[in-house]
Amino acid sequence: MIIHVKNLVKRYGDLVALDHLSLDIKEGEIFGLLGPNGSGKSTAINCILSLLNYDKGDVEIFGKKMTPDAYDLKRDIGIVMQNVAVFDELTVYENIDYFCGLYVRDRAERKRLVEEAVAFVELDQFRKFYPKKLSGGLLRRLNIACGIAHKPKLIILDEPTVAVDPQSRNKILEGIERLNAQGATIVYTSHYMEEVEQICSRIVIMDKGRIIASGTQEELKAMITLGEKITVEAFSIEEEQLHQLRELTGIVSVDHMDNRLVIKSDKGNNNLETVLEFLKSHQIGFGRIYSEMPTLNDVFLEITGKQLRD
Amino acid sequence: MFAHIFLYRFKCLIRDRQLVFWTLVFPILLGTFFYMAFFNLNNDETFHPIDAAVVNNHAYQHDAQFKFVIEHISKGKKRLFNLKVASTQKEADSWLKTNKVKGYFTNGETLRLTVQESGLEQSIMKRFADQYRTDSSAIKSIAKENPKALQNGLLSDLGKQQSYVKEISGGSAKPNNVLNYFYSLIAMACLYGSFWGMKEVTDIQADVSARAARVNIAPVHKLKAFIAGSMAALLILFSEILVLLAYLHFGLSIDFGPRTGYVVLTALLGSMLGVSFGAFISALVKKGEGLKVAILLVISMVGSFLSGMMFLNMKYIIAQYVPLLSWVNPVNLLTDAFYALYYYDSLHRYTLNMTMMVFFILLFCGGTYLIVRRRKYASL
Repeated sequence: MIIHVKNLVKRYGDLVALDHLSLDIKEGEIFGLLGPNGSGKSTAINCILSLLNYDKGDVEIFGKKMTPDAYDLKRDIGIVMQNVAVFDELTVYENIDYFCGLYVRDRAERKRLVEEAVAFVELDQFRKFYPKKLSGGLLRRLNIACGIAHKPKLIILDEPTVAVDPQSRNKILEGIERLNAQGATIVYTSHYMEEVEQICSRIVIMDKGRIIASGTQEELKAMITLGEKITVEAFSIEEEQLHQLRELTGIVSVDHMDNRLVIKSDKGNNNLETVLEFLKSHQIGFGRIYSEMPTLNDVFLEITGKQLRD
Repeated sequence: MFAHIFLYRFKCLIRDRQLVFWTLVFPILLGTFFYMAFFNLNNDETFHPIDAAVVNNHAYQHDAQFKFVIEHISKGKKRLFNLKVASTQKEADSWLKTNKVKGYFTNGETLRLTVQESGLEQSIMKRFADQYRTDSSAIKSIAKENPKALQNGLLSDLGKQQSYVKEISGGSAKPNNVLNYFYSLIAMACLYGSFWGMKEVTDIQADVSARAARVNIAPVHKLKAFIAGSMAALLILFSEILVLLAYLHFGLSIDFGPRTGYVVLTALLGSMLGVSFGAFISALVKKGEGLKVAILLVISMVGSFLSGMMFLNMKYIIAQYVPLLSWVNPVNLLTDAFYALYYYDSLHRYTLNMTMMVFFILLFCGGTYLIVRRRKYASL
């Protein structure tokens, strides 16, 4: 195991931020920690990194107990903070060089690693820029470069795409996949389920400091009763017709709001063809129609009764 | 590793324009303003001859003694009066009304002084008239009653003035009130260096900044990183104080006495005091950066005020009525160290100030260490 966490408890007064959290993260995986804001993701990361005191539990990294003095372990860990953690007075290159220099003593080696990091996050033409001159997306890329320049075996990214434009977000996610392909184990925390779905091989969903579900995407989606969701642009439909739709086999719910007809199916049932035939046979006019499989948000919704972004 | 952190902290600090302004440019500007304001202060204390007149009446023309005396004291570089002779009292009156003279003398049975208002010049003229009347009367009386006494040198004795009070300094230096303003300015600049110390703590405490959290996660001892950063801060502040001293000494001709080595040592200790003070306050106060800056500013400015930067006598008032305050005010300790170096030949008072400063530096460093040494935090 790269990370082994057992029964981690962290309290802030009466508030239990982590409630007997246990995790096992294997070498080579992209491990997603998904949960709404305040669910305890960052607290868990900070406890694992020995930045925060915790009340109970054990944390091992690379098979050894993690402590603030465990420099041999820290040498192989890279962290990308939720808040951009760079110096405004240093240029892009100097920032990466400074943080890399905290891990790598050899100058020539450090120079090579910094150059690679600059190229990796595609900041070559901005190397002499000061952070204040960078856009939000570029700044996030610099933040990542500062955390990964020393080529760590374990990279922890704590919500690295917050407030980032879609183009930069895609670049960041692609970069994380490349780092993983190069051999790094990734721990990725986010409250964006799409990102976690896109890159993570295994996912843990957290809420109120506890793990409420874990597994691969497929395993998580298999846990819930919900199946296919069909959305139809239907401008005019009568209540009687909605009732008839609900009576069809395998359909769990039918709702019509804002000219949108949302039909949810039972797990294992695909009702797109049936729905289309119903609309035609009842001469109900419709526009666009699309079908989607359950998302992690549906998983979270079914388990907790609330939306992931609540 | 130490050199790497030192170098980058040095770059970070020296590129902080706001800090450089407040710790270097601002004291230089303030010093220049002080110089412009105080340059003529000592010159104003030197005596300027008084514009005075005497009425050229019959009594004046025939009183050779008075004529001799008043003309004698109105001659040369050190003259008392710029004397004008009015042909009539009417002319003297018109000069007085148009402020061409501060007053005029009219000789007669007794010497009369006419002035339009009261002031320093008028008081001096009155003092002259009184002195002349007294001496003249005494000589006339002696000449009448004991004429032989006049031949035994009494006349020259009567003209002699003897002061029994002498202004001296504690050492060989010339007394100069203005210097204290500049010494307290240097002390203030040293205390402004507390901002450098504050920045160092901000960048090492994981519960204060994300940058610090990143440094805490790296395989580097936190105190090693802190010491390297603090050394960079100290180097910058000490260099700034040396630049300020050089500007004051060579640019504005401010005298620090002949003991240059001790002056540099005081600047070094002052810089250490500033950085350690800022680090301590920053470590102690857990609230936002704004509050820390406000606390440092208030302490620096109040300390400067109490050490006489805005009002010279305040230093002496505090020393007289609240002596303890002058020993716990870091700005005053520094000001007084420069003051003692300039005024006193003995190093006793200087050593006392420096010892107190060393005590405070150790106190601030120790306090900072106890707070900053924590490696894990209760919350971030």
